[in-house]
Amino acid sequence: MKFKDKFRTGWRNLSRQKLRTSLTIFAIVIGAVSVTVMLSLVTSAKGFLMSSAQKTGMDKRVIVTGTAGLDYRESTWNWPDGTGKRIDESVLKEVSALPEVNSASLYTSVQSLAEFSVKGATVAFKNMYTEAYTPNGTIKHILVAGEELSEATNGKGVLISGGVARDLGYKGREAELVGSEITLRFRKDMGPPGSGKADEKGTIVGVVLGENGDGLSFDLDWGVKLDTLTWEENNGPNGETQTRTESNVTRNGYASVWVDLKDKDTADAVVAKIEGMGYGAAAGQEEVDAQATAFTIIGAVLGGIGGIALLVAAIGVINTMVMATLERTREIGIMRAIGATKRTVRTLFTVEAGVLGFMGGVFGVAISFGVAVGLNQVLNKQLADSGITDRNIVSVPPHIALIVLAATTLIGMLAGRLPARRAANLDPVEALRYE
Amino acid sequence: MAFVTCSGLSKTYTVGGEEVKALDNVSLTVEKGDFIAICGPSGSGKSTLANVIGGLDQPDAGSVVVDGVDLATAKDKELSEYRNRNIGFVFQSFNLQAHESALENVISPLVIGGVGKKKERQEKGLKALERVGLADRAKHKPTELSGGQRQRVAIARALVNDPQLIIADEPTGNLDSTRGADVISELERLNGEGITLIVITHDPNVANRAKRVLDIKDGRISERAGAR
Repeated sequence: MKFKDKFRTGWRNLSRQKLRTSLTIFAIVIGAVSVTVMLSLVTSAKGFLMSSAQKTGMDKRVIVTGTAGLDYRESTWNWPDGTGKRIDESVLKEVSALPEVNSASLYTSVQSLAEFSVKGATVAFKNMYTEAYTPNGTIKHILVAGEELSEATNGKGVLISGGVARDLGYKGREAELVGSEITLRFRKDMGPPGSGKADEKGTIVGVVLGENGDGLSFDLDWGVKLDTLTWEENNGPNGETQTRTESNVTRNGYASVWVDLKDKDTADAVVAKIEGMGYGAAAGQEEVDAQATAFTIIGAVLGGIGGIALLVAAIGVINTMVMATLERTREIGIMRAIGATKRTVRTLFTVEAGVLGFMGGVFGVAISFGVAVGLNQVLNKQLADSGITDRNIVSVPPHIALIVLAATTLIGMLAGRLPARRAANLDPVEALRYE
Repeated sequence: MAFVTCSGLSKTYTVGGEEVKALDNVSLTVEKGDFIAICGPSGSGKSTLANVIGGLDQPDAGSVVVDGVDLATAKDKELSEYRNRNIGFVFQSFNLQAHESALENVISPLVIGGVGKKKERQEKGLKALERVGLADRAKHKPTELSGGQRQRVAIARALVNDPQLIIADEPTGNLDSTRGADVISELERLNGEGITLIVITHDPNVANRAKRVLDIKDGRISERAGAR
């Protein structure tokens, strides 16, 4: 029997029991949709993560600290506690000399802020991060409005986070803050009496994506200056008054050196080299990888749930095909009498079950594409509200669609194997007598 | 050389814990172009004999050689091909596929045998339906045909592959006498065209028209003398 004829016969037999066939396919569709949507979501999330990492340069970043063994997050924000090596210009120079390094910047935070005002609104400086770095392109952000700090921003530019914009009452209107003056006020408790600082003024040049972290970014030189206290003391050798100047940086050095690599694949090698110099080093790619692994695990779990749905659907296929062999016992006998081999009968039923699986896969994948479109409509609005320029981040990757299609077909065929074998092994004489 | 040679055929069934000898050391030969009636009460083993000669069943012992092929030891593939190419079965209960049209039923051996393209199959099928006088009913489903017409469709199906042997198991059993006589005439005509015919029956009217009559009882066979 030609395969075309087997396929046609299988199709025809399925269409004889429309309701049962539809229900069986429907079960496979549910499984196929769950698997496809789950895997697509995870793949899309990973893709979004990777593209974000690329935009911020995180994938090509290595952070150098004075303390060995810090992971990426710790090394990003921890202030040196004095136990590690001192980070200063000499470290920057040493690291910059590495051939894999594209650019590097000293990095530190500003400790002495108390509050700041923009356009008449004042925000207390509480649970916020600050960063100060050389605006040479080493450190990048995803911006909602404005631009990065640069030489052109004249040393007194400030990047504010989306959270700060929200605190100031400009959520969704972040662009209105760009170019505004920001007034910084300082803590009174930092230095000895008389060390208070006068307010400083800067200009907001950009708003960074993300409402979760509230913070401000400064040019390195200005940031260090903001943290520098100057006061007079009467403790000269002859009791005379002398002026003292001190900052976190002069006391403890910088927090870290941030490095932008030419090629992300060199991250491990660079980390090893820097550790060899006696410093701590952490690669941003490690963090990206860790997050990607987390997504992979979530994907495996969700995909597994979808897989269970498919398994249940496979039992449905077995049930349907067993029913079919029972109902069609006499037909099988007739086919055998007019010359069908056992193999032909087996293939016929296997093909039929495979068609069930394939149809389930086709509808499942088609519906998944629809689900992706629907999710994107919801997500696009959210992304737009958050100021993210990415759109349509959920997509069904073609290879996942193909794999699901192949898998449902295969599952159908495997589920059909047992009933098919049963049909093939029927004694034709008995089958012809079957009422 | 004989067309069908059976020697020492035995077949035992176990029914309800009891062994029933359907065939007990049966030997017979059938010449090409023969018209043989096998008669006997129900349960006598006549259907089993027909099924064994038709390659639908295999004996426990003995050999059945048809056209040089020993069916007793043949594998499923060989047996199936043999049924497809050389045998036309006609059953008491017609055994047509209810969801297929008359023509689709008739061409089903061609589809299973992978013979020809769609057009060629349809032509052959229509020709076979013409031979039994039902070309105008090609599109009808079995339920839209009378019993006699259904049996003629079954005969057309048996004919479509130009078989050498037609085995009819009680072909008139479900038909009234007039329709039954029509069907037998049809088979007789085909036998006249050179097709070997084995008819299982307990209808004396059918047996009377056969060239040879074999009686079978408790699995043993005997030739009836004086058949025409």
